Amino acid sequence: MIKSNHAFHLVDQSPWPLTGALGALMLTSGIVKWFHSFNMTLFISGLIILVLTSIQWWRDISRESTFQGLHTLVVAKGMRWGMILFITSEVLFFFSFFWAFFHSSLAPTMEIGLAWPPTGIQVFNPIQVPLLNTIILLASGVTVTWAHHGLMENKFSQTLQGLMSTVILGLYFTALQAMEYIEASFTIADSAYGATFFVATGFHGLHVIIGTTFLITCLLRHKSCHFSSTHHFGFEAAAWYWHFVDVVWLFLYMTIYWWGS
Amino acid sequence: MADADNGDNSAACVESGEEEYRMETVPFDPRFPNMNQTKHCYVSFLDYHRCIKARGEDYAPCQYFQRVFRSLCPNAWVAKWEEQIEAGTFAGKI
Repeated sequence: MIKSNHAFHLVDQSPWPLTGALGALMLTSGIVKWFHSFNMTLFISGLIILVLTSIQWWRDISRESTFQGLHTLVVAKGMRWGMILFITSEVLFFFSFFWAFFHSSLAPTMEIGLAWPPTGIQVFNPIQVPLLNTIILLASGVTVTWAHHGLMENKFSQTLQGLMSTVILGLYFTALQAMEYIEASFTIADSAYGATFFVATGFHGLHVIIGTTFLITCLLRHKSCHFSSTHHFGFEAAAWYWHFVDVVWLFLYMTIYWWGS
Repeated sequence: MADADNGDNSAACVESGEEEYRMETVPFDPRFPNMNQTKHCYVSFLDYHRCIKARGEDYAPCQYFQRVFRSLCPNAWVAKWEEQIEAGTFAGKI
């Protein structure tokens, strides 16, 4: 059944953009309310609405693509550009935090003793847990590539194993980093060191969690046979995002953890 | 009446009919070439304390650093730093 005489996808009416916008508004104003009156209700409500919106919006996209076949080649091309541009914008986002780190660390002020790390800060030993985290993410880059090749070569059980390994490594990284955060001897409030460290690694950790969620979604979709050996853009997008997260960590490790100690 | 000072911009001799005395100011330090002399002040303060820690308070050449930071630094900063040293909260490495 042909619905149009062109290859593009003009989507049906959907409530999710509206609920997403409302949820985002509640989330952001909820954060402000949280800071001023110590009440998290608006924030939590916004978060729940946004999460539900995301699930249902992306579920709709899976339905439109896998079940209705509306994702032609040009549609997929458009999504590739979209993902590339989005990841580029994220690169710029992290660039700003690296700028902040170098601003503070290249010419340390008198207040912190003209030194980096500042006087009194006990930094993490870069060859302990941070090195393990580096190895974990590098290995996860290998496993996701393994999964991709399994997908392209019709070896779907290998895809399953590769994706599972990647997700497990991602969760392991998150757990280790959470332990580090708990055990750290300094907080976000401890001079420019604490601020730059926790903001940069914190946003990275958030991106790891997002990437892991994306990969889990791919895992579930793969188990439901959504992907073919030639058409699996959702998986590719997740893999690109995951590699980006890995690269950001490598920069974090080399600059903040290693050079910055 | 200033005399020939051999190109030394940091000092001038004055003959006022009674005695000669030298007016001096902090000499140019190429480590701090710009208008903002904050680090010059702080580093001199550090150097003075490192000097007397290494050589003792009676070692005369240390006084050079003291004259530099007393001239450059706002007195409030020096007072605050000395309080911090006393309290053990001074951030600089002495």
